[in-house]
Amino acid sequence: MRYIKLPSENFEKFFKSLEAWGTVYAPVRKGSIYSFQEVHDPSEMALDYNRTMLPPKKFFFRPKEAILRLKNGRWEDEVEAEPMVLFGLHSCDIHGLKILDRVYLDEPADPYYKSRREKTLIIGISCMPDEYCFCKSLGTHFAMDGFDLFLHELPDGWLVRIGSVRGHEMAWENGELFEEVTDEDLANFKEFEERRANAFQKELPQEGLADMLDLAYNSPVWKKYAEICLACGNCNMVCPTCRCYEVCDRWMDAYKAVRERRYDSCFMENHGLVAGGHNFRPTRLDRFRHRYYCKSYFDPSAGYNCVGCGRCDEFCPAKIEHVKVLEEVRGSLK
Amino acid sequence: MSENPYQTYDARILEVKDLTSREKLFTLRFLDPEVGEKFEFRPGQFVIVDIRGFGEFPISICSSPTRKGYLQLCIRKAGRMTKFIHKMKEGDIIGIRGPYGNGFPMEEMEGSNLILVAGGLGMAPLRSVLWYAIDTGKYEHIWLLYGTKAYEDILFRDEIIHLLKHGEAMNCSVKLAYEVESPSCIYLERGFSDRVCRGVVTDLFRGEEFDVEKTYALICGPPVMYKFVIRELLDRKLSPGRIYMTLERRMRCGIGKCGHCIVGTSTSIKYVCKDGPVFTYWDALSTRGLI
Repeated sequence: MRYIKLPSENFEKFFKSLEAWGTVYAPVRKGSIYSFQEVHDPSEMALDYNRTMLPPKKFFFRPKEAILRLKNGRWEDEVEAEPMVLFGLHSCDIHGLKILDRVYLDEPADPYYKSRREKTLIIGISCMPDEYCFCKSLGTHFAMDGFDLFLHELPDGWLVRIGSVRGHEMAWENGELFEEVTDEDLANFKEFEERRANAFQKELPQEGLADMLDLAYNSPVWKKYAEICLACGNCNMVCPTCRCYEVCDRWMDAYKAVRERRYDSCFMENHGLVAGGHNFRPTRLDRFRHRYYCKSYFDPSAGYNCVGCGRCDEFCPAKIEHVKVLEEVRGSLK
Repeated sequence: MSENPYQTYDARILEVKDLTSREKLFTLRFLDPEVGEKFEFRPGQFVIVDIRGFGEFPISICSSPTRKGYLQLCIRKAGRMTKFIHKMKEGDIIGIRGPYGNGFPMEEMEGSNLILVAGGLGMAPLRSVLWYAIDTGKYEHIWLLYGTKAYEDILFRDEIIHLLKHGEAMNCSVKLAYEVESPSCIYLERGFSDRVCRGVVTDLFRGEEFDVEKTYALICGPPVMYKFVIRELLDRKLSPGRIYMTLERRMRCGIGKCGHCIVGTSTSIKYVCKDGPVFTYWDALSTRGLI
């Protein structure tokens, strides 16, 4: 890793320089929530945000999009993406994108996702956990890769970690804005990271978690929560790693049709439906349990399908807490 | 060829044949000979059928890769999309993408006996295996145990009756179980009293013994069938690793993206479309929700 420093007074200039790389999106405050939006001026941003409602997956895997267009009886595609800069991603969201990459870039790659991913620069930013965050338990509280630049807050600027060749080029082209990192900066960085590590209020003990959950398949705890759950699918929509989609063809006029895909949720009854009306997850209990198993699946080479961002908790209308459910399920195994 | 894996290729319907009142057999050929040339598949794989402007659905291939130049799909009228394709005629164009999934390990099984256990529509993917095994002649002996509702529901009836009569010459023994009695069934039963009976597919195991070291079982049928068939096979000491089955899910993408076919729990998650649709019984033992 290469480390440089961006002093506070140069921040605005550096931010302005990003527009040369593509449209800049950053977290902005919208009423009581935050959202990644197009930003032209640093003052529009809310860099001290906790989490956006929709994670950055919305830029790569869109809530709704046309994948093919029917013209003269043939499908045509528009894969070409616009260059973007996503500014201010938290570490958990960077990890979330890495999990989506495993799905969407795996051969055969999804061309829409791939094209957008290749044309997007990722600039991470340090954060302080709130009551919903449990990324530290999952090891996603710090990103070692998956970004071009990562900005860590210092009292008088930012310690910048450079994570890619493009990140290096971004810094290189604005060489006059950056300084060498001093011992004082390192001390401040260390102090911030320690303070942050101690600020987590929620913990998901993961010792043997996957096996314990599997063994507790018939736990009454699943049933208890499935009864509280509204099956609205909010947790799927806001999850940075949920990637299910549904496809349907829609006619624009008598000659043109589009094949659209949109976010789907495993809480919807028709998610497990097959031909002839048979459903592999017929009850809400089946569907509730499925989501928790999907998120808690542990891939030895890549970790869990959950990054501990806390969105599913914050935006759950039934106030179901992910960690609490898993802990109770595990606890029910006596 | 397009880089876009969601793009489909034009295929002309060469023939539409009524198999039963609900199932039709569509014989297809790619319009572009180059696409047809590159389209290679293994028994057990599936394709996504695209009716432009109406949608897509997954269907297993029921012809054998040994029979080149065309592709056959047995399609049951079950929903909106399949109802639509049932109205299509010879000469109509549909889109095809694939083949997808892993298919049966035909090479690994060479030199062994194959027991194909089909229930209802499950005959369709197993027909690909059946003709592959007969055409290549690389297998010791093939048993086809086929359970069907009634005589009228027997898929590929002409082929099945032909194999009942002449299968032994091709190292293939066919056994048939039907549930609803009819004059045609009684006639069949009289002709082949040792191989046709009233009952369910598991009744066809009665009296059958096989060399477990040299046998593989391949199963396809409605979800309820697996448990009972597998019990028969395990009773005869067949290893869970030698029992293959092909499963159905509503795959939207076919390439492990859309998530509709994900099954399993925290210790094992599988995509039926790319990890399957062919799984061993061991996969089912270690992945909850598979069958």
